[in-house]
Formats: sequence, C-alpha cells, structure tokens
Amino acid sequence: MDIISQLQEQVNTIAALAFNTFGTLQRDAHPVKLSPNYPDPPPPSNPTEDPATAAGNVSEQPKLMTAALVKAAKQFDALVAALPPAEGGEDVQLKRIAELQAENDAVGQELQRQLEAAEKELKEVQELFGQATDNCLNLKRPD
Amino acid sequence: MATATYPPPPPYYRLYKDYLQNPKSAPEPPPPIEGTYVCFGSNYTTDDVLPTLEEQGVRQLYPKGPNIDFKKELRSLNRELQLHILELADVLVERPSQYARRVEEISLIFKNLHHLLNSLRPHQARATLIHILELQIQRRKQAVEDIKRRREEARKLLKESIATLDGN
Repeated sequence: MDIISQLQEQVNTIAALAFNTFGTLQRDAHPVKLSPNYPDPPPPSNPTEDPATAAGNVSEQPKLMTAALVKAAKQFDALVAALPPAEGGEDVQLKRIAELQAENDAVGQELQRQLEAAEKELKEVQELFGQATDNCLNLKRPD
Repeated sequence: MATATYPPPPPYYRLYKDYLQNPKSAPEPPPPIEGTYVCFGSNYTTDDVLPTLEEQGVRQLYPKGPNIDFKKELRSLNRELQLHILELADVLVERPSQYARRVEEISLIFKNLHHLLNSLRPHQARATLIHILELQIQRRKQAVEDIKRRREEARKLLKESIATLDGN
C-alpha cells in the first residue's frame, strides 16, 4: 500500500483505539458513590465468571490499551518520517513534467526512425534472399 | 423470476462498414466531455478538486499558505491529538458533563488530519507521473540501442556472407 494510504489507515486505527479505550473504561468502571448514605454495592460474587475481568483486571486494561494507543501514535510518526521529501511545489513538478514530455517525444521520434530504417533493411534482405534462392533453384538442372 | 436480456449494441456499427478502406467515411468519436454531466440520474463533474475545509464548515488548524511543510504539520497535529485525548480522560474523571466540547475538538483534529492527507494526493499523482515518464524514456532509449545493435549485427553478417560467397 502506498505511504499516504498507510497514513490514512493509521489515523483511522488511532481513532478506533481511542474510542475503544474510552468505551471499555466506561463500561468496566466501578460505579461512582453519589452520597455516603447509600450502601456499597455487593462485591461481584464470582470474579472468574466474568470474562472481562478475567482477561485483565480493571487496572490492567487501561495500561494495555493506552500502550497500544501510544504505539499507534509512534507508528504514525514513523510513517510521517518515511514520507518522501517534498521537492519544490506544484510549479516545479509541472515544469519537470513538461521537460520529460518533450524528451519523451524526441526519443519516441528517434525510435520511430530507427524502426522504419530497420524494417526497410529487413524488406531489402528478404527480397535479396528471395532472389538468391530463385537463382539457386533456377541453376539446378531439372533431372 | 423474470430476467431482462442485455440491451443490443448501439446501431452505429453500420456506419463503420468501410472504415478500413476509407477512415474518413465514418463519423469521428464524440469529443471528451467538459464541465458537469449527468450519468444515471446523478450529476458528476469532470473537474475533481478537493474542497477546502472552510467550504465544509470545518475550522482549519494548520497554517494556510502556498507551500505547507506536510511532515511538520502532520507531526504537530498528532501531538495535539494525543493531548486532547488526555484532556478528554481528565474531563471524564473530574467534570464528566463537559465531555462534548472535548469530543468536538478531537473530531476537528481528525478532520484536519484527513484533509491534510488528502491534499497530499495531487502531489503524489504528479510525482507518479514524473516517475512513469522517466521509466518510459529509459525503456525507449534502451529499445533504440537494441535496434541499432541488431542492425549492425545484421549488416556484419551480410558482409561476411558476401565475402564467403565471393570466395567461392
């Protein structure tokens, strides 16, 4: 994939990681205590039943997710560094394209000339070859 | 289930009956379209230009100007993005009701990032064109050299064969 598409994919990846992070944290966070009068909620009966808390405790997941986010951001920086240097602006490029087109036309005409000359020589050689074989055949005595 | 057959080819082919003998007897192909055209009921334009952010009602965070240093702007936008994500996390902890503004800012940064990347595409297209032209020139020069070499070889072979035949 070309570098710009990779950069675009990386931006989308960072966005996905960001909202997955916030969504997961929001889903798995402990409820907030609104007033000291309310009793605490009963502790979860079986921690190993819930696959979310089994995969990584509530304190592990943010670390993993933020590590992934930071890694994605670093990768984006690496991709930006890998961009080819921006040589000049639009005008420089257009001028170069015009030069290359002129050179391409010239070389194309040269190629055409060489091709025509080569085809002419080929025809001549074929004609001579035909004549030579005719002479060979005619000199053979029919017996 | 009723299926429709393919439509028949357009009947213009009859006009090209004598094309091989007289290329001018048949009508020219239609000229390329310019401006906007209607295709299957929707409008398309031939002038594909990337609309600026202002036209889409989005604030532009990176500086405008003739020549933008894309790498620097991309890197600074990336840093801004990370800072805003941290800000959002802070706001959610301390003042959860004010998340909307932070989310707006994050999406603004993403829009700017994508617009910047899209504006790199014309530059990439021109660079690709330059590369293709250079390759083509190189191939044509190679072909010219090949033809010259083969003609020389053929001439040499002919001379040698004439020499051998004369020797007989």
